[in-house]
Amino acid sequence: MSTQTPPRYPFAWTPPMQVPEALRHVHDSSAMEVTLPSGDVALLVTRYKDVRALFADKRLSRNIARPDCARISKDNDLFMDPNIDPDPPEHTRVRSLVTKAFTARRIEALRPYVQQVADELLDEMAAGPQPAELNEAFAFPLPIKVICKLLGVPAEDRDRFRGYVDGFLSVTKLPPEKVGECRQNLWKYLGDLIESKRENPGDDLVSELIRVRDDEDDSRLNEHELHFWTQGLLIAGYVTTASQIGTGTAVLLHRRDLVREIQADWSLVPSAVEELLRTQIMGSSVGTMRYAIDDIPLSDGSVIKKGTSVLLSEEGANVDAEVFECPFELDIRRKENHHMTFGAGLHYCVGAALARMELQVATETLLRRFPDIRLAAKAEELPRALGGFMEGFTEIPVEW
Amino acid sequence: MRVTANSETCAVSSLCVYRVPGVFDQDEDGLVRILEERPAAELHEEIRRAARGCPTKSIQVHEDEGAPASPTAPA
Repeated sequence: MSTQTPPRYPFAWTPPMQVPEALRHVHDSSAMEVTLPSGDVALLVTRYKDVRALFADKRLSRNIARPDCARISKDNDLFMDPNIDPDPPEHTRVRSLVTKAFTARRIEALRPYVQQVADELLDEMAAGPQPAELNEAFAFPLPIKVICKLLGVPAEDRDRFRGYVDGFLSVTKLPPEKVGECRQNLWKYLGDLIESKRENPGDDLVSELIRVRDDEDDSRLNEHELHFWTQGLLIAGYVTTASQIGTGTAVLLHRRDLVREIQADWSLVPSAVEELLRTQIMGSSVGTMRYAIDDIPLSDGSVIKKGTSVLLSEEGANVDAEVFECPFELDIRRKENHHMTFGAGLHYCVGAALARMELQVATETLLRRFPDIRLAAKAEELPRALGGFMEGFTEIPVEW
Repeated sequence: MRVTANSETCAVSSLCVYRVPGVFDQDEDGLVRILEERPAAELHEEIRRAARGCPTKSIQVHEDEGAPASPTAPA
């Protein structure tokens, strides 16, 4: 047993535009112990082969509300709800109620709306002063409007729920009593929303879930699950996409050569979006926390012992040289980019197709509308969000 | 080549439908459906990519089961 404290995780990103030094060494072994913001220690699995296999391994439970499981934050019970069973078959039963809203057909039917919102937001930005702040002008309002439309949430409520959601996702940013207050306010807000939709149902996903919940012959969803999934869809529906629009665009603008390449051939947008997702500059893998309910061998013969708290390193898998040629290079033409940013296995991100479509529309519309758009600050000096679940840039000044 | 898919394990990533829309489709719930079990040779490489990229490995490619008349894809 080593007496040294394992390295801190998430890894420090300094300076912001560079790959963290720690990430260059994560494949020296198949797994490494890391110290979480809570001070607890977890095992970070880093190789693509293992990460991908373990995402699908039922010996890793997503139920982390266990006394001996490592905590991400000591001030916030992130991803722990004792009333929700996050493992199959329970999880799969509820999940199948929402996946039907995210099929390719449904997502493509939303594309014109996303385009319209993107156009409107950028018209407003063009009419305003320079430099503009990309997060507030574009990166956040776009996915917020889209997820609100899909869920049937009034978009003007965003000023209310955004503050609650920030608190909900706090790791070290807020004291525990503030976190608790945000969590309670968010839950209450969702309760009010659900009640008002019960009275006035619409053609949206929350109304659909309420119909399932209230159908006496259908026992697939209880009231708590209805709340929980509405909350999860709302949060995951914009926080991640907004961060990725912001950081992805910042990285692109930092690389004028890539912007010019895309502008010369718009068919590169989807593969550029995937490559920005692969390099996953917006966050860490603390959200993948799992608990080993049995011994699990890794590809190099080492064994994850039963009772270990495990993190599956998406960012590690995404730079595994066994799978990705020149993994630290941003290659917007990668043909086969099966990155782990949306996970794998039965917990694969429900909203992945929606996120991809939004990122494609956002990237192309921005670079078409403002052909000479550039950062109005040094890329190395962009402030990064600290103390929360997401680590995107907090301010991205742009001019054109 | 013959291609099959397991809708029981499908997680509705929609990746295969976007990659090779003429071969893969989704039912009402989003679960994978095969439209063309013996696809044309020019699609084979993309189908292999779709199979490799499936997050739940729900797509199976049977390389040696081609339609008798179809030409062999170059290695």
